[in-house]
Amino acid sequence: MQPAVELHQVSKSFRVRRARRAGVGACIRDLFTRQMDTVLAVDQLSFSIAPGERVAFIGPNGAGKSTTLKMLAGILQPDSGDVRVLGLVPSRQRRQLAFQIGTVFGQRSQLWYQLPPRDTFELLGRVYEIDQREHRRRIEALLAVFELGKLIDTPVRHLSLGERMRCEIVASLLHSPRMLFLDEPTIGLDVSAKAMIRELLRTESERERVTLLLTSHDTGDMERVCRRVIVIHRGQLLWNGSITALRRGYLKTKRVTLWSEADHLELRLPGVRVLSSGAYRTELEVAVEITPLGQVVDAAVRQAAIRDMAIEDAPLDEVIRDLYANAERRSATS
Amino acid sequence: MTAVVLTKYAAFSRISVVLASRERGELYGRVAFFAVILGVFSSLWHAVAEAGMPVAADPKALVWYLAATEWIVLSAPSIHLDIQDAIRRGDVVYRLGQPASYLLAEFAASLGLLAVRAPLLGVTGFVCALAFTGSVPPLQALAILVPFALLAAALMTALYLSIGLLAFWLQDVSPVYWVWQKLMFVLGGLMLPLQLYPEFVQRIAAFTPFPVLLSGPASFVLPVASVSPATLARDFVIWSSATALIVRWIFARATRALTVNGG
Repeated sequence: MQPAVELHQVSKSFRVRRARRAGVGACIRDLFTRQMDTVLAVDQLSFSIAPGERVAFIGPNGAGKSTTLKMLAGILQPDSGDVRVLGLVPSRQRRQLAFQIGTVFGQRSQLWYQLPPRDTFELLGRVYEIDQREHRRRIEALLAVFELGKLIDTPVRHLSLGERMRCEIVASLLHSPRMLFLDEPTIGLDVSAKAMIRELLRTESERERVTLLLTSHDTGDMERVCRRVIVIHRGQLLWNGSITALRRGYLKTKRVTLWSEADHLELRLPGVRVLSSGAYRTELEVAVEITPLGQVVDAAVRQAAIRDMAIEDAPLDEVIRDLYANAERRSATS
Repeated sequence: MTAVVLTKYAAFSRISVVLASRERGELYGRVAFFAVILGVFSSLWHAVAEAGMPVAADPKALVWYLAATEWIVLSAPSIHLDIQDAIRRGDVVYRLGQPASYLLAEFAASLGLLAVRAPLLGVTGFVCALAFTGSVPPLQALAILVPFALLAAALMTALYLSIGLLAFWLQDVSPVYWVWQKLMFVLGGLMLPLQLYPEFVQRIAAFTPFPVLLSGPASFVLPVASVSPATLARDFVIWSSATALIVRWIFARATRALTVNGG
């Protein structure tokens, strides 16, 4: 089966103006001289995505995520390497590709700010050359799924950020794209709005077999929407695999919380760090490769009766942070 | 151009019409400004005429002339500001990714706005000029003025489009617009017919699009027009073609800079 997205050894660099120097003299000199630096945003990046997959694309700020997304949408042209989306070369076949992809940029808007979303939806129907009857059916179907109701006739400027984002996603789905690129779709949203957007993205992708590529700094977006995660750092691939495998590969510790008969527990074992202790509750971080969990529990039981116990993985945030930190250390030493 | 493509760009015009009809504040502001400026200049030209100065030999014609030039200027949408804002906010990324020509879409949207503004401002100019002068130019002159004025406003919009595209590099196009506006005042004959300017100004103006935009169409309400309709039509073809080439060239450079170097 042809991949939905295929990148092979793709690189992209930008020429940016060197930061201005301090001082009046330097400012005047800067008016007449322009010193440029070349920044390598994406460095020989390769990965592929199968049709219908939901993939999170993450990395620290400046890692090259948005640049990659723009290359996939045909807005940026790679310096070298091959990019194919749905079998098309985005930079050369942007117009053809536009009919088959949707884009959602969390911090940008395609809705006409002073008008209700319905006006933009009608405009987009014409732009994407959709049959009028079919377009009306599509709008009604998406209104029901995204629970827009009266919002569709409310001027965009009166919508909350979460409501606006639902409308933005609907706008991107109107032409039934086979591939959806989302750049931080939950940025700035409150907890319930985030949950709603995540659920909608997941169910819509499953229902219509839309391939999703989602960038986000929020690990909740990855865990609840995607199955696979691609991590990049300084434009290079750091991880490409399932979220479960990422946890297993990088997660060397477990969080253990014990509720005991004793006020606090004294557990001095190798690889065990007491995070908090007191009020009959002790929270530990256990490096399971050094001390297995069984030994920790045995040691606790020897000190006092255990009333309850919880074992959790460390948050995915920490895994990602470790991943970035390791990459940073590696690039510093090399 | 197929019907589907025409419908596509007509949709951009339509949404602008909807927007203009819902957001009427700016339009009313323009109407009020138009009435005030015609009132002020009507008084000024009468005062100048009473003082015996030759410039306002026919103050009534000058008021009608100003009504015509201001009608054109006020009807043309400030598309450069919309483009600048879209580039600054980054929303332009959506428009560039759509299966529609960015230039045609922006131009079509502006024409929609022009279609709402021009009739109302035209009526305002006519009523105010009539009220302040108590006379009307020959109907034949008005019949020639109207289509040329609408063409001029459309051409001015296309030129504003080219100014707006400079925001891909400059971010803020206000300085360019200010220079443009001052040149239009002088070389276009915004306040006074170009025939009243020194010879050298007229000669310089002939090499610019400004007379085609303002003094050419507006001069039809004067006792003696500065240009014949046929010559003005020819000049429109020349300057419209040149503008189309310039806009396309700037856009090609802008998108190349964007696709190669980001933005």
